[in-house]
Amino acid sequence: MSLKADIKILIVDDMSTMRKIIKNMLTQIGFTNLSEADDGASAWPMIEGAIKEGRPYEFIISDWNMPQMSGLDLLKNVRSTAGLEKLPFLMITAEAEQGNVVIAVKAGVSNFIVKPFSAQVLKEKIDKIFNK
Amino acid sequence: MTMLNDPSMKEIINDFCDESASLFDQLEKSLNSLEENPSNTKELENFGQVIDRIMGAAKSIGATEIATFCELGKVIGYKSSQIKDIPLIEVVVAILFDSVDMLRKMNLSLKAGNDTSMNKLNTKAFVTRLNWLSEKFKDIERASCAPVSTTLNQNSIDDLMKSLGL
Repeated sequence: MSLKADIKILIVDDMSTMRKIIKNMLTQIGFTNLSEADDGASAWPMIEGAIKEGRPYEFIISDWNMPQMSGLDLLKNVRSTAGLEKLPFLMITAEAEQGNVVIAVKAGVSNFIVKPFSAQVLKEKIDKIFNK
Repeated sequence: MTMLNDPSMKEIINDFCDESASLFDQLEKSLNSLEENPSNTKELENFGQVIDRIMGAAKSIGATEIATFCELGKVIGYKSSQIKDIPLIEVVVAILFDSVDMLRKMNLSLKAGNDTSMNKLNTKAFVTRLNWLSEKFKDIERASCAPVSTTLNQNSIDDLMKSLGL
């Protein structure tokens, strides 16, 4: 793995099983510094808090469809915050419509993954995002 | 190999089954509320939201039958939340009650790792019934409920993102 193993990653999904699956895959890939949030609404204060502590997240992996704050709204918050304009942001969705992909790209998403996906696909996307 | 037949993933499968079981309770709560007041269509929206969560995880662990049920339930829930036809909503609620009941049975079979009992559930006939119901709402457009023809697979997304400069 070319990326450092302790890169600070935040996993955002409203289904705890999905968070476990993603954590499991990231651990398989070799990452060690993983945090999780169960909605965009709970992720956002974590992201803000990490900035204040001077240890910002370096990568966000978020589900699209969540009840209180969607992945898209979380992405928009991230992109409109000074210093986070280029924070790598990977969106995960169960069903991707062309229109939604375009909206997310315009909002500044770094890449997209459709469920179901393997650790190999996740690794390829991460490599692509960080090797741009 | 999917997670379903990977012994090292048994813990995640069990977690899925337990989490889903508690979400089925939430689904039934929405349906009970609708049974008392069928005009409270916000509960159908809630139903769509909750079953969508189960769908994503079901797809991820390779529980395709559960994912199919959830996908249809999501479309029916979200789209029927936009109608005012009370008799039709009552039909929707009755069928969704049966769907949740079927999902519980499928979930139990999955947790037990019992393919035989899953086969006995005759889910195909029930999927036909759900498809029939979802057809009633085919003219209603709703975000997150795109027809299959407009949804993209991973390769199409990669191509689209490339064409958009990513």
